[in-house]
Amino acid sequence: MIGLVSYIVFFLILSLIFGVAVLGLNLQWGFTGLFNAGVAGFTAIGAYTMAILTGPARDAVFGGFELPFVVGLIGAMVASGTGAVVVGLATLKLRHEYLAVATFGIAVTIQLVCLNWEYLTGGTLGLIGIPNPSKAWADGPLAQNAFYLGVVLVVVGLTFVALERIVKSPWGRMLKAIREDDVAAASLGKSPERVRLEAFVLGCMIMGLSGALYVAFIGYVSPWDFLPIVTFQIWTMLIVGGSANNRGAILGALIVWGVWTMSGFVISRVVPSEIQAQGGAMQAVLIGLILVVTLLIRPRGLIGEELHVSRHARS
Amino acid sequence: MLQKFRLAAVAALLIGIGSSAHAVDCPVKLGAILPVSGPMGQVGERIAETGLFAVEQFNEAGGVLGCPVEYVLRDTQGQSAVGVDAAKSLVDLDGVQALIGAVSSGVSLPVLTSVAVPSKVVQVSCCSSSESFTALAEEGKTEGYWFRTYATNRSQSAIGAKLTVDSGFENTAVIYVNTDFGVGLAKRFEQDIARLGGSITSMVAYNESQQSYRAEVTKALEGNPDSLYLVAFPVDGATITREWLGLGGTDNLIVNNSLRSDDYFQAVGSKFLQNLQGYDSAQPRLPSVDSFNEMFEARFDSPPNGPGLHSVYDAVTVVLLAMEASGDITGDNIRDNIRLVTSPDGIEVYPGPEGIARAKVLLAEGKTIRYVGATGALSFDRNGDVQAPKMTWKLDGDENVETGYLSTAEVAELIKMLDE
Repeated sequence: MIGLVSYIVFFLILSLIFGVAVLGLNLQWGFTGLFNAGVAGFTAIGAYTMAILTGPARDAVFGGFELPFVVGLIGAMVASGTGAVVVGLATLKLRHEYLAVATFGIAVTIQLVCLNWEYLTGGTLGLIGIPNPSKAWADGPLAQNAFYLGVVLVVVGLTFVALERIVKSPWGRMLKAIREDDVAAASLGKSPERVRLEAFVLGCMIMGLSGALYVAFIGYVSPWDFLPIVTFQIWTMLIVGGSANNRGAILGALIVWGVWTMSGFVISRVVPSEIQAQGGAMQAVLIGLILVVTLLIRPRGLIGEELHVSRHARS
Repeated sequence: MLQKFRLAAVAALLIGIGSSAHAVDCPVKLGAILPVSGPMGQVGERIAETGLFAVEQFNEAGGVLGCPVEYVLRDTQGQSAVGVDAAKSLVDLDGVQALIGAVSSGVSLPVLTSVAVPSKVVQVSCCSSSESFTALAEEGKTEGYWFRTYATNRSQSAIGAKLTVDSGFENTAVIYVNTDFGVGLAKRFEQDIARLGGSITSMVAYNESQQSYRAEVTKALEGNPDSLYLVAFPVDGATITREWLGLGGTDNLIVNNSLRSDDYFQAVGSKFLQNLQGYDSAQPRLPSVDSFNEMFEARFDSPPNGPGLHSVYDAVTVVLLAMEASGDITGDNIRDNIRLVTSPDGIEVYPGPEGIARAKVLLAEGKTIRYVGATGALSFDRNGDVQAPKMTWKLDGDENVETGYLSTAEVAELIKMLDE
């Protein structure tokens, strides 16, 4: 029983951390229609910034400022936002699949920089000993994880509320207008380029926040945490949950991460041990199957976009 | 009344579940977190099967404290978040007190810091080579729960440096693969060679799977090195060696054990490699190793060639022996008893059902034992690392011939000298 509670707390922490990144992607894809295939890269920037700002000093590696957790979170958002401005200025003229290819390439580049710039990132060895704020506040693994879950819930809650307000604001309606028809939006005097960049940067900042939460929880960061599969997972979460709906984004994170992990648990229980070594393939099939079936039944995701009319408009 | 009864029932259930994680309930579960799919899938699958083989052999000898051992395998998919979740699920939902795995350091380390240490569960890896584990252990952050049966890079760089200096080379260029394995090894080599009186002309890292390494080789040629220390894997290693020799580099090569492979010799051409020397962390001259090899062949119809097979067998067996030595199977007891069953002055026991049965009898009599397994006699240092005996080799025509042998004790002495 205690084990189950402890596991659920742990599961919620990881899936909600993913959920933060999904919220960021939702702003970009769901509301603005920006095909960002470089999610892993922006979470990596946030993650390493957290590690550098809050981690202990190391020989021959930059950083180790031992700053407080909150400074790490803010720093992570600033760093990934700055990265996004640079990337966005260079790539946002591209549309759809071209933007996807460009951002994918950038994510791979960022991962390779993490792998090779030893002075900054510790290279392949990664950075160890990143403090988890809950250790100072609670005793025992369950209490510490429960505390950290509280922190994650606060971050998710704030992000969620802020995004809900943003997308319902005039600026949020502009995002949708640009997503649907940017020529029409431009003809009304809006600047699609600028708004796209703003949405892209804001979304990437939220992804950086997610990366920062992850490393502070795990206590370690290495380039292997940001392989392209992470981007794929976060996209799946958004599509399954329902894009252009922030509730859907969080639900998608919980469901997809649940399928991902529970399938492994089920296989370890059901499949006889002699053939468990082949179970990995079965797990991949199971994950794929569940996702495909979900999308066949609910093509717009579990909770799709809600139709909105401005509250100022008359019916 | 009914409510009170319910409350009592729930309380009883809670207590029951709470204690079942520790007391000896059958079956005893052993968790394994290995990459059986994803990029490491091919390697991981064989490692996972060998782990199961070790469990089967233990069960043939009667299991742990009279209980059969259940091997619960979870796939990491080579992803840290998946591996961490799998480990947490094994600990919390299956109640395992020991974890075997993972393979890559990038997965093992997050599992260690976020699951094993906080939950006080022992983690034994067959294959993770990163030096970060040693660093973490030295800071006291593993709290002794971390062990690995894979001999660390430490001895490899030491023997490589010794071989270089003993061959009379004074200016050595280093080319190494840019992974945690290669970087750790090359850095240590740099320190060791300075300690032994040699010197380095350049340290050049390369990224895997490129078409050509001309730029890296050209950089390494600067400063007229009289020898090259190469840490690479066969395909890229062959490309580098061909370009190195083609651009006029010396044929005095010292190579890491990962290049002791016919693929490499053939791809470069043995006749160009007659001044090549290497070392290998390998086959200790012990009957226990042969007997493991024979048992493995009998079970799988193929010899145990491949990374991690010997070491995962020993990882599993050592953990199970430590459980056997514990009255109460808890992470703390396993951690402490791993030392007890690998004690240097204990009575030697060997792999296989008979050896394990004998070990169990000895443990029941309260004796300390020394498990001498598929990788030889394991002796974990205070950081949970092990050393392995080393041999040096060269090519004579197409033949791979041995030129020297250092026992575990000699290797330990060399490292001690270098670290002082």
